[in-house]
Order: sequence, then C-alpha cells, then structure tokens
Amino acid sequence: MNTMTIGGMLLQAYAVSMQIFALTLLGAVPLGVVVALGRLSRSRVLSGIVGLYISIMRGTPLMLQMFAVFFIPYYVFGIQTGPSYMFVAVMIAFVINYTAYFAEIYRSGIQSMPQGQYEAAEVLGYTSGQTFFRIILPQVVKKILPAMGNEVITLVKDTSLAFSIGIAEMFTVSKALVAGQRTMVPFAIAALIYWVTCLVIEFALRRVEKKLDYYHD
Amino acid sequence: MTSKTTAPAVSLEGASKSFGEKSVLSDVSLSISAGEVVSIIGSSGAGKSTILRCLTLLETLDAGRLAYGDLTVCENDATGRARYDRAARTEAHMRFGIVFQDYNLFPHYSVLRNVTDAPVTVQRRDPSEVEAEARELLRRLDLLEHADKVPCELSGGQQQRVAIARALAMRPSVMFFDEATSALDPKLTNDMHALIRELARDGMAVGIVTHEMGFARMVSDRICLLHDGRIIESGTPEEVIDHPKNELTREFLANVAD
Repeated sequence: MNTMTIGGMLLQAYAVSMQIFALTLLGAVPLGVVVALGRLSRSRVLSGIVGLYISIMRGTPLMLQMFAVFFIPYYVFGIQTGPSYMFVAVMIAFVINYTAYFAEIYRSGIQSMPQGQYEAAEVLGYTSGQTFFRIILPQVVKKILPAMGNEVITLVKDTSLAFSIGIAEMFTVSKALVAGQRTMVPFAIAALIYWVTCLVIEFALRRVEKKLDYYHD
Repeated sequence: MTSKTTAPAVSLEGASKSFGEKSVLSDVSLSISAGEVVSIIGSSGAGKSTILRCLTLLETLDAGRLAYGDLTVCENDATGRARYDRAARTEAHMRFGIVFQDYNLFPHYSVLRNVTDAPVTVQRRDPSEVEAEARELLRRLDLLEHADKVPCELSGGQQQRVAIARALAMRPSVMFFDEATSALDPKLTNDMHALIRELARDGMAVGIVTHEMGFARMVSDRICLLHDGRIIESGTPEEVIDHPKNELTREFLANVAD
C-alpha cells in the first residue's frame, strides 16, 4: 500500500472526524447558552441541578461518559441498540460534555458584564430577552472568544476518543493502518492533518477576533 | 403652554425605602412639572442616588406613591406597602430618560445605533423616521460627524451627549441626570447648563442629582436638600442657599463652601 492510498483512506476517515467536530459545535454552542442561563438562574434548585451536571461533565473523563451513554440503553433499560447507535452515542456524549464546558465559559462572560449595561437597557424599556440577545450576548461573544478558541482546538483532537467505541474516524483508521502495514507513516499523516486543521481554526478565530476589535469597553 | 391644572410630569409622595434594617428614604415627597428644573442635593449617603433609582424604577419603593403625569406607577395598598402596577411600570419607562453618571452606553453599537435602537426595538417606531430624528438630535448635540463611530472613540463629554441623545430619542417627558457635571470641565459645564435650560424651555421636566452646589444654583428652578433620607429644605436656589431655614442646611452649606 503506498502513501497515496494511506492518505486517501485517512482523508475519508477525516470526514467522519470532522462530522463529529461539526455536530458537536452545532449542538453545544447554542445549548451552552441555555445551560449557562440555567446556572445563573435565580431558582436555587435549577442552578444547583445545572451546577451538578456541569461538575460531573467536567470532572469525569469524556471516554467514560461515552461508554456510559453507549451502554445505558441496554444495561439500565434493557433496550437492544443496533450498530447505528454507536455514532449516536458518541454524538450525545460529545454534545453534553462540550455543552458543560461552553456553559462555564458563557457564564463567566455573562457575569463579567457591568451592571450598568443591564440598567441602561432596563430604563430604555428593553425586555429581558431583548437585553440579553441585543446588548449582553454580543459583548459576551467578544469577551469569551479566546477561551472558546481553546475549547474548539481541544475538540479537534478529542474527536479521536471516538476510537474507543469503534467509530471509523481518523485516529481509528490510522491505528489500524499502522498495525496492518507495519509503518508509522499513517500516524505521521494523521498528526499532520490534525495540526493543519487546528492551524486553520486558529487563523479563522483570529480573523473573527480582529473583526470584533472595532470597539472596546 | 401647559395649563396649571395638569398633573406634574413626575411626582413622588410619601416615599420610603429601606435596605434591610437601614432606612434610606423616609417620607420623601417631590414633584417636577413640565418646564421645571429641580436639583436634589445632599452629601454622599443622604439617599440621592436611591431617590433617582426609585424614580427610574431600578429600585422599588417600600411605601409611597409614584406617578408620571396621569400614570400612577405605584401606590400604597391597604397595608401601607407600595404596590406596583405592571402595565403602568412598563409604560412609565417611555416617559422618562436618564443620563447615568458613567453613561452606560452600549459599547458595541455605533453612536447612531445607540440612539436609534431602543425607539425601533422597544417603541416599534418606523426605523427611517427614527434615524432622521436621531440624526437631528445628534446635530443639535454637535455629534453628527461622530454618528458612525463607537463610544470608545469619543471623549467623556461627547459620550455623555450620546447618552443624552439616547434618552431624548425615546421622547420622554422627564429627563434625569445623575451627577451631570462631575466629569466636565468649566466650558462643558456651561454647555450642559445651556442644554438643560433649553430642554426645560421646550417643556421638559428635568431632575438633577448632584453634589455640586454651584451648578445646582445656576441651573435649577428649585433645589431640594436631602439629609439622612429626608428632604429637609426645598425652595428656589436663593431660598435654600442664601436663606436656609434649617440648621442642618446651614451646616451642609458650610461644609461644601470650601
């Protein structure tokens, strides 16, 4: 098998990695807002429950969470899951895990907003929804962008954890190729692809940061 | 001309407010009519900012009545506690504007957007009509050339004028200023004086909270002196400053004289 063939197989698996990456962001970025608002809720019960969820998600390994999601239907509810559930389980685990991390970042961003912004909006008659989406959130986005960047970069590499329940993403395939072909080249190519992906993301984030740099407070 | 029989633009009667055990306002009554400029003065801790926060609905009164013109926002129920009317509260927000001490502009919006956003979003007015009106306000306040800048590109005095434009764009009948001149140099203080008098001439009721006696004397029709949460002296600047009736007023004036 030549390098071209290996590269081709890895790129195919890379599409799966990127699918996990994109779907996680698609789910966790908006869900994080909801969870952050729950954490900041005046209801101590709601805030407590959400706090516990965040604590568990951040305090246990993502790989363990993935296995838990994968096995719960069978061991807890006795439901037989088909092979298609593997990918679903990975996605559920990634989304609930990353939602917790994003929620914490949003929460710190929201809490760093000066009280005066809320009061200015209140006296102008904005509803709390309008205040949050028009006044607070856009400013929070700018504040949290660097922290979000770190998480997104981590997510690129975390997609390789799907290997543990047998999803054919890029790390799974490269490991199989290394074992079968008795060469380190697949690892080298995979590493390069992960790295370039992160470089592209860093570049994109810098562009966004620059775009939001038109004001400071 | 407004007739003498209409309700004052804003009135507060028998207002009391405590934070925990600490009484901050007790039995305060105050009203401002259209075209009138009233300053609330007093040392720090006297309750000036609490009055302003109650008037602008950022705090609720424990007891008392608050009305904007014919709109009663809250009055005492049978147990003597202030009861707020939800709908009136919402409507009252359209009747006053406030210029905060540190302006609290929206930093991510352009100057123009700071002025137009609330009238369009909250009052649901026609965007092009609002923009035309906003540009006229900015022109009057000498800000038109800065319309597309963001607040952080402006000086403190300019930012304060944006805050004034933002409040005026809501077409309020009462304007409040929190420490209007504390950040201004003498020239800008004079401009502020002229602007406030102009607003009053156009029929606006103006309430100013300040600890600067000189400015209060120059700009006000009436001055209320607040001490320990009570209004202990009230009258024209001459009456309050030159011929105070209350011993505590004389003490306060002696302290701020230097």
